[in-house]
Amino acid sequence: MPDKVRFIIERQDGPNEKPYNQEFDVEYRPGLNVVAALMEIQKNPVTVDGKKVAPVTWECNCLEKVCGACMMVINGKARQACCALVDEIKQPIHLQPARTFPVIRDLLIDRSVMFESLKKIQGWVELDGSWDVKDAPIQNPYTAQVAYEISHCMTCGCCLEACPNVGPQSDFIGPAPTVQAYLFNLHPLGKFDAPKRLNALMEKGGITSCGNSQNCVEVCPKSIKLTTYLAQLNRDVNKQALRNIFNF
Amino acid sequence: MHTTFYLRRLHSLCGLLCLGFFIIEHMITNSIAMAGPEIFNGVMGMVEEIPKPIFYSIEIGMYALPILFHGIYGIYIALQANNNPQRFGYLRNWNFTLQRWTAWFLVVFLIWHVGYLRIYIKGITGTPISFELLQNMFQNPIVAILYILGMWAAIFHFCNGIATFCMTWGITKGPRSQNVICAISMMLCAGLCLLTVAFMSSYFVY
Repeated sequence: MPDKVRFIIERQDGPNEKPYNQEFDVEYRPGLNVVAALMEIQKNPVTVDGKKVAPVTWECNCLEKVCGACMMVINGKARQACCALVDEIKQPIHLQPARTFPVIRDLLIDRSVMFESLKKIQGWVELDGSWDVKDAPIQNPYTAQVAYEISHCMTCGCCLEACPNVGPQSDFIGPAPTVQAYLFNLHPLGKFDAPKRLNALMEKGGITSCGNSQNCVEVCPKSIKLTTYLAQLNRDVNKQALRNIFNF
Repeated sequence: MHTTFYLRRLHSLCGLLCLGFFIIEHMITNSIAMAGPEIFNGVMGMVEEIPKPIFYSIEIGMYALPILFHGIYGIYIALQANNNPQRFGYLRNWNFTLQRWTAWFLVVFLIWHVGYLRIYIKGITGTPISFELLQNMFQNPIVAILYILGMWAAIFHFCNGIATFCMTWGITKGPRSQNVICAISMMLCAGLCLLTVAFMSSYFVY
């Protein structure tokens, strides 16, 4: 193992600036991951040519693959930087921002579009209203495991970065927000709004924009069976369409 | 009201039923060429015997309109994809990309194929389609190769379309059933591609 690890980072000074590459060397240590390496670069932002530059900007938070914030393109693949161990990936290590989303600076991206999509599909449970609030209903034990699996989604955006149908050329909301509709449709209170969510998915940019490339399920860091739930939602929207047509 | 949803589902149905019928019908009639010119021309004559009102309704209702819709709406769909098999080289992603590449080729190929054989030769000059006519056409190796590529593209597009149809309509849900349908459709694709080579070579044998 070499003493130094070479990083080739695609940088960008602002949302509308031109991207450019810079190379950095980081002292190797066992268990080094990409976030830790970026922290080292931040401490001493000197390129391999010995030029002192502005520190690289990126986003991270939990450092244990739960929050989703540090998603970036590492050696061409969308993944979490915190669990990308230097020992397990090819060097030199290429880091790029996930360009499916607007780039704010360097590796920092604006993922608020996913929040807007969650609002579109009503990704919440309507709890308070003008009705009585009784004891909490129990989860269906037969679907609880599926609900638990989908609830692992951390809106990191890996699936949107990998999906060929998500991007500026298309209005597809992407696999993650789409599949969240299924999670809330499974909920014992959320299911009352299932027709609302399914109707939202039938709108432009909803589930019909899925082209079955199935990249999402390959890249999901939480191993959520996205394609299975997309197929289930396809069934559900078809039934919803029949209900809409025949008014039952 | 959910226009996109109904257009997409109609696009999917047109693809499976009408393009499917178009391809299967072509595979059957062309396979007869392997039996020789007399039998092929005999069958072509029988096709001409179909009463014109029925024949034209099938041509327009089953072929022209659905395929035009599938093609035009399909271009709109293809333009929404940013194909990325270089970055994500999974089998299904390659099929996704090939589905769009074959679509572009087929748009051009079908305009040429229908425009020349159906509209110009059969429609305008009134020449019936015969074994000898096709044999003459395929004497040009470029035409023969483009026709084989056109058939292969259509066969792949149709067979991969069966697999994606099953996903889109929620027929195959889990990875196991999706993989089974994917494998069957790819075997069908390989079989039909070989059959194409067999009947195309009969124009050079007789």
